[in-house]
Amino acid sequence: MSVPQYRKVAALALVAGLGFSLTACSTKSDDGGQEAGGKVTITVDCQPVGAQKELLANWNEDVAAFQQENPDIIIKSVSVGEQCNNPPDFTARLAGGTMTDVFYGYMTDVQQVLDAGQAMDITEYATKENIPTWDSVDPALKEVFTDGGKLYAVPVKNYSMGLVYNKVLFQKAGLDVDNPPKTWAEVRAAAKKISALGGGVAGYSEYSAGNTGGWHFTSLLYSQGGQVLSEDGKKAAFNDAAGKQVLQNLKDMRYGDNSMGSRQLLQWGDLLTNAGAGKVGMFIGAPDATQAIVSQFQGKFQDWAMAPLPGQDGPAKATLGGGEGYFFKKDLTPEQVKAGLKWIAYQKLTPGKGQFDYERAKPQNYPVGLPQPLLFANGSEAQKQEFDLRKANANLDTANFALFETNPVPIKGEPRNAQAIYAVLDSAMSGVLTDPDANIDALLKTAEEKVNQLLAAGS
Amino acid sequence: MAIITAPPPARQAASVPSASARRSRKLRDNLTGHAFLIGAVICFALFMWYPMIRGVVMSFQRTRRGETTWVGWDNYTRIIADPSFWTAWKNTLYFTVLALVLGYVVPFLVAILLNEFRHAKGYLRILVYLPVMLPPASALFLFKFYAYDPSEAGLFNAILASLGLPTSEWVQSPTMTMPAMVIASTWMNMGGAVLIYLAALQNIPGELYEAAELDGAGIVKRIWHVTIPQTKLILALLAMLQIVATMQLFIEPLILANGAGTQDSATSVAYLIYQHGFFQNDLNGAAALGVIMLLVLAAFSAVYVRLSTKEN
Amino acid sequence: MAQDSGSRTLISHAQLRRGRGRVIYWLLLSVVVLGFTLVFLGPLYWMVTGALKSGQEIAQTPPSLFPKDPQFQNYIDAWNNLDLGKLLFNTFYYAAGAVVFQLIFDTAAAYSLSKLRPVFGNAILGLMLATLMIPAMVLIVPQYVTVIDLPILHLNLLDSPFSIWLPLVANAFNIFLLKRFFDSIPEDLMAAAMVDGATPMRTLWSIILPMSRPILGVVSIFAVTAVWKDFLWPKLVMPSPETRTVSVGIYAFAGGTPQNVVIAASVIAAIPTVIIFLLFQRNIMSGLTTGSLKG
Repeated sequence: MSVPQYRKVAALALVAGLGFSLTACSTKSDDGGQEAGGKVTITVDCQPVGAQKELLANWNEDVAAFQQENPDIIIKSVSVGEQCNNPPDFTARLAGGTMTDVFYGYMTDVQQVLDAGQAMDITEYATKENIPTWDSVDPALKEVFTDGGKLYAVPVKNYSMGLVYNKVLFQKAGLDVDNPPKTWAEVRAAAKKISALGGGVAGYSEYSAGNTGGWHFTSLLYSQGGQVLSEDGKKAAFNDAAGKQVLQNLKDMRYGDNSMGSRQLLQWGDLLTNAGAGKVGMFIGAPDATQAIVSQFQGKFQDWAMAPLPGQDGPAKATLGGGEGYFFKKDLTPEQVKAGLKWIAYQKLTPGKGQFDYERAKPQNYPVGLPQPLLFANGSEAQKQEFDLRKANANLDTANFALFETNPVPIKGEPRNAQAIYAVLDSAMSGVLTDPDANIDALLKTAEEKVNQLLAAGS
Repeated sequence: MAIITAPPPARQAASVPSASARRSRKLRDNLTGHAFLIGAVICFALFMWYPMIRGVVMSFQRTRRGETTWVGWDNYTRIIADPSFWTAWKNTLYFTVLALVLGYVVPFLVAILLNEFRHAKGYLRILVYLPVMLPPASALFLFKFYAYDPSEAGLFNAILASLGLPTSEWVQSPTMTMPAMVIASTWMNMGGAVLIYLAALQNIPGELYEAAELDGAGIVKRIWHVTIPQTKLILALLAMLQIVATMQLFIEPLILANGAGTQDSATSVAYLIYQHGFFQNDLNGAAALGVIMLLVLAAFSAVYVRLSTKEN
Repeated sequence: MAQDSGSRTLISHAQLRRGRGRVIYWLLLSVVVLGFTLVFLGPLYWMVTGALKSGQEIAQTPPSLFPKDPQFQNYIDAWNNLDLGKLLFNTFYYAAGAVVFQLIFDTAAAYSLSKLRPVFGNAILGLMLATLMIPAMVLIVPQYVTVIDLPILHLNLLDSPFSIWLPLVANAFNIFLLKRFFDSIPEDLMAAAMVDGATPMRTLWSIILPMSRPILGVVSIFAVTAVWKDFLWPKLVMPSPETRTVSVGIYAFAGGTPQNVVIAASVIAAIPTVIIFLLFQRNIMSGLTTGSLKG
């Protein structure tokens, strides 16, 4: 290359580079929200990703319909990935203040969001005027997003865990689909039969990595009547008979019966991938696990049913509950907050619209009739409407979820410091699932020491 | 220094420059010099020098609800009290030592071997370097899903089983986690080291081997007395670089072992920094851990420099 | 590479050409060629064909050597669902930008330190070289906090390519390599140019740079490799799906995507660089070795 040519190329590259990056910068929306003509613009995250074709189309349709109804509001949707709240990315957005105006978070995120100083107190705006169904929303859920008497988010989903099972595999293994296991002993027996089908099928599958192991341990522990932390929240309380029973059950299935498959160290997507491929007989999860199996893991929702969480000698003593909500970024204008609330009310909290538009969802490849998201208080007006619509449009056999719905297990929330504790408990779970000679007492004792140290250091 | 040794080139052109003209000339030269430096200096200042100070400062602070307070050694005591802290160091050191045995010695032996061949040299060199070209995530998923599958459907287990050898659960087995990671990491990264050794080997004068052979030295002796001393500098440099690199072990545990691995057998110091900073919302604790890591590596380099200067 | 076939190595040629030595040489060569092919190409073959197998076939014991019923759909799904085109574009865009920024700023800096030598030049060089001893992981948290809120300017560079380009300019190794190369360019050339009235800029353009093509090539290769191989930094500073690099993108999707599709995506992601490498392997490899050894 001759020198002048060299220079030309370099100059071109530089110009191209700068040009590109300038456009990249300018696409970041940072307009104050108020535009000429009195229009209010808000950005909202957790738009479905491209792979979830129907969900994305529904979302976009909702945005269009909402904007038609509210001509002075403009909704800008942002997709933040297949998992709306992937902890490291969520933390990154919080730390950088790059969340959308109205942003998605888990119930367990309240503390983190407040610590980051990024949430706005929306108490005075959360009224019937902005959210018509607000009085029907379960007060317990509002309480979760309240800190020091101030409300910071609007709940949009609430779940509790049960036993999710694959009907096809049940039938193949000669098990009664309508009579799923009610105790852990029955789960073990069923798992043994299912895994005997061969072909790499795991009768029962369980997490042990990426903090999901600790999350499920907590649910299993609740089913035994155990507690993660003591009442005052200062000491670990899982190193007892209940905790040992949880690990013993898993160890018996994994190494006694070899009914849990050989690949362990699973985290969220790994288990659902296997489930979608028809290689998992049972696992514990929320009703929406079947939605993920369909929308992301190429499975069929028709194959799945759900029972209440089993207990050791009868029904579970309690189960783990959790949920999601939308926070509001601090320093929004009152108009923006109101616009955001109206949008959430429309898309998430109105029977017959948005996530409750069962008529639209019915013919789509998406389950209708799941006993969730359980947002409205029992006996409230909105709850009745939602229930009737759900029954009328169900595209799955609601009998499959009747057991779960009609035998409610008491719901317990997640412990304080959940993520850090889950990380510790992961190693107890991976211990019994990967080491045939694992010493359960030692595993729990180590975990207990670690959690105690963690709590002592954190306070 | 620089100013004195570089004669102002335009001096011949001007007749006898006045003192003030010389001073302004010098000033202008300096300004031009700094104008060329400024871009890089700003980048260093923003992304290296400032963060170094910021890291130390952060490690003594705590940010909660948008308010930052000084907390003394709190972050350090908290980080060290975390039981994973010692596990992480133990794992990281174990990986570093294993990587020295495998990832350091193997490329050297491979380079010696390749250097003897008169045929297929180019082909072999390309082969060894090929994995370096894969995106790291690609290579690691290959190992995770295929090679290290714990059932007998896995590639490694299928080979072992067909040879009648006992199979392993690889990353899933606490005792095999680190060896499995070192194997994957060596496969991925050894190409670069092999190339550098090859170049170094080609600079060894042939007469030295000749002389050693005349003295009756066998192949092993010749490697010991000729090859190693002759490549000592580059061997030492790469050892240093590799130790610093392996101490930062991160993506291997993240992908192969989904993070912490079986009973924390994969937790590395770098992974712990990531976990504190971005999973547990504790950037200050993560910064403290970073400072500790820096101190350990600085101590290590000091010892290293001490040893290597003593030897010379 | 300087490969004079006449020079003697560990074992003398004569020995390898005669009788037993010859047999052993050829035997060893065949074993090594076969072994290396298996070790280094084998896994790649397994990857390409594995991505063609169905979920059932993957789980089969013992594994099959050829896919029985090739599922090309896996590759199509990978391309579409992961938006690989976008991810690859991002990665190349960041790599190209990194080359441009490093060539401009690092070359200018090295030129200044080597030839213009302003006051405090050596002190600045010393401060730069000091950063060589600091591993990336140590600074990751404060660097991240800095990128979120740049001091004085108060800019947020998350999701902006500058958060990858600018930190890469702060590369003491490259500046050191360039400076040493420039040092080896005779001072007389500079002086002659200056007498002709050329500005320092002009001298850099028309005298220094044309002579420095090999080292500029090396720096470019290092810049591309750095972007290509990095994982944690782009993962942190590019949190949006639209701005991810290919490695980060595949990882982000791996949790929610069937295994075969993840592997298919890994194969596609590897193709461009492997092709580039095979085309330019001679230049790349000689550049890398001379760059790192003699620099």
